[in-house]
Amino acid sequence: MEKMKIFAGIILFGSLWGFSECIIGSSLHDLNLPAGAIMTGLFALTFMFMSRMIYRQPGMQLGMGLVAGTLRLFNPFGGCFICSAIAIMAEGIIFEIIWYKMSLDLYELRKPINSISMGITSAYIIYVSGYIITQILTPMLSSAGFYLENLIVFIPQILSSGLLAAILGGITIPSILAIKKINLTIKDSYYYPATISISILCWLIVIANTILIINS
Amino acid sequence: MGKEKLIPIIALGIILISSVSSVYVYANQVNSDHIDINGTEYTISQIFFICKQKTIESNSELFTGVSLDDLMIKTGISNPEKHEYMIIASDNYQKTVKWENMKNGIITAEGRSIFSDLPKAFRVKNIVKIEVI
Repeated sequence: MEKMKIFAGIILFGSLWGFSECIIGSSLHDLNLPAGAIMTGLFALTFMFMSRMIYRQPGMQLGMGLVAGTLRLFNPFGGCFICSAIAIMAEGIIFEIIWYKMSLDLYELRKPINSISMGITSAYIIYVSGYIITQILTPMLSSAGFYLENLIVFIPQILSSGLLAAILGGITIPSILAIKKINLTIKDSYYYPATISISILCWLIVIANTILIINS
Repeated sequence: MGKEKLIPIIALGIILISSVSSVYVYANQVNSDHIDINGTEYTISQIFFICKQKTIESNSELFTGVSLDDLMIKTGISNPEKHEYMIIASDNYQKTVKWENMKNGIITAEGRSIFSDLPKAFRVKNIVKIEVI
């Protein structure tokens, strides 16, 4: 697949992911719902797995994580936004590591037990790793500093909170694979205008939302 | 062992680890109306009675509560600037901060720490203990 098409795909899926983190994630956080687990198990996994399924291009999810994490920095509301941005970027890297050995045609996932299991594994590892990375990096970047004992005593809580992400991941991957059977194609002449328009719209909504909150 | 056999085993292991962790977390949850400050227990109303209140800005929001540095001084911590402070929540979430941070921090009526100079990760909810290190 040509490089520009993949690059446009990274911007599109990264923007959609970042948009959902900023708008939906922040709303879930304000409602005191487990935003992190829901966002990872449902949204992050959906965008990363869909892009892997459509483009079959390793490395793309890393770029998407960078785009989504950058967009999250433009919306400094709803929870710890620096932590969220770091976690999103880390999630892209971890997805790449987990899926590194998987075949690009997703042959291993033809059995439902494997697609469910891969969803559980991916969502859980991505969520827990992202959580731990932010618990290390966020204090390190602050004036308080990082203390290992603070992280160690909280590990059971982190491992426990990943259960919801795992369950959602176990539903997400088989659901997306079911959609794969629907043959959706887009003409090349519509591809770039569509990807660019949707990406710009995502960024504009997030920035407008930030400006509205600041001025309210 | 092939990938196709390994994937369900890893998923099963993950479900097991997260379930055991959930049971552990539930069993070790601390429920207390008091906050243990360096070995002495105080209620939130006692803290609000003995200490001065202040309003700080954190992430474009205003918060009012008891000044954490004043709380340490009023509870008899000697040489407070020479210590670090571990703020512990009922679910074991904890963050260690320096005296400089305590000077920019408050504890709200809901028992939550807020710091004007630290990220939201340092907002410890349902504080049950402040340990002086």
